Amino acid sequence: MEAGKVYSSNTVLQARKAVEQLRLEAGLERIKISAAAAQLVQYCQENRRGDPLLTGIAASSNPFKDKKTCVLL
Amino acid sequence: MCDQTFVAITFGPCDSCSQNKPLMNIYLQNEPVNYCSLCVELMACQGLAKGETVSTLRAESENLKAKLEEERAKLHDVELHQVAEKVETLGQFVIKTRRTLKGHGNKVLCMDWCRDKRRMVSSSQVIMRSAAVCVLQEHAVTMPCTWVMACAYAPSGCVIACGGLDNKCSVYPLSLDKNENLAAKKKSVAMHTNYLSACSFTNSDMQLLTSSGDGTCALWDVESGQLLQSFHGHSADVLSLDLAPSETGNTFVSGGCDKKANVWDMRSGQNIQSFETHESDINSVKYYPSGDAFATGSDDATCRLYDLRADREVAIYSKESIIFGASSVDFSLSGRLLFAGYNDYNINVWDVLKGTRVAILFGHENRVSTVRVSPDGTAFCSGSWDNTLDFNPV
Repeated sequence: MEAGKVYSSNTVLQARKAVEQLRLEAGLERIKISAAAAQLVQYCQENRRGDPLLTGIAASSNPFKDKKTCVLL
Repeated sequence: MCDQTFVAITFGPCDSCSQNKPLMNIYLQNEPVNYCSLCVELMACQGLAKGETVSTLRAESENLKAKLEEERAKLHDVELHQVAEKVETLGQFVIKTRRTLKGHGNKVLCMDWCRDKRRMVSSSQVIMRSAAVCVLQEHAVTMPCTWVMACAYAPSGCVIACGGLDNKCSVYPLSLDKNENLAAKKKSVAMHTNYLSACSFTNSDMQLLTSSGDGTCALWDVESGQLLQSFHGHSADVLSLDLAPSETGNTFVSGGCDKKANVWDMRSGQNIQSFETHESDINSVKYYPSGDAFATGSDDATCRLYDLRADREVAIYSKESIIFGASSVDFSLSGRLLFAGYNDYNINVWDVLKGTRVAILFGHENRVSTVRVSPDGTAFCSGSWDNTLDFNPV
């Protein structure tokens, strides 16, 4: 099964394909970054306890947290 | 990356005019055909509406691109790190222990974790081994090609796929019998016309997704070796691919030397979204655990985060002091940390939300070629051109 590349001399075909692809992409429904970012942050927060690489980190200096002995690994 | 793209020109009867001419193989509605260059131009022109020419199409193309940028810009109301300001800062990142797995005769080019979380497969120029981290069990399989660039564990853990400069992706069943000659059970599944850069099983052992230096990605049936779907849209070598986490459906993302990251629908072969903000080859792509975004690592020394619903790049992870390309990226389980291996021999750990670097991990004596977090998130493994694999548990 060969997958050949279309050569640059084939400008009409390429141009038409590019336009069709762009038309498709232009029709996409998008949301604002504020909304998208909020969801990314929410996912991180919801899952942070289940992330060993994250919780294995030495406790950050949270002034509201009860002070415990620090163990330096 | 190797640059062995040369084209063999076929000469023969054109499928359209039947004259003997040099042929171009192109795809019409996903079917490959061989047309001579004259017929290709004629066919393409026939489809043009009245008054359309190459220049009008190009102009429309530019218009659409500008319109797309406008639409995207309208939604750019805030930066990710601003939204993340309220999130608590991460403390110091500490690695407890590290075990270095030596034994590769050559550079480690890629690796993959088994879903049982204890086994890994890694590949190098000649030998492929899978090592259970608790008990070292090794299967050495001699590859018939000189550079194995891609390897993957099947979901069942019973089968391994790998390939590289042989332009193929082959599948090997694994057995616990060390003495068994695994090379004899090899089965070729995928055939490309250039090197295989990445491979991944889909949610079962039955289907294999591959990407290649020939600019395409392809979905194969493992049992029959049949091509189920091909994905065209990159204009240069495709270097990496990643499947969306299963909850989010049948899509995958690919990144290539054309600086583009494309998101594809696996069933239709359609290119759904395309992102082109990197300034050089994209070496690695990886989905954010929720499936709503993906990260890329590039030769332009940056890693970037693209959100799929905002259809835009939302973060860049870079520093003036980092000037070498990022070869491989992976997220921690919650998506808060991004591990990126670089060609300056280091691994940088980034805070995905705040955009800051949390740690630099030294330890390799040559390029880091692959970084993978284990499926349960308790460790990550890095492979390097210094012939070692570093295993870093929490």
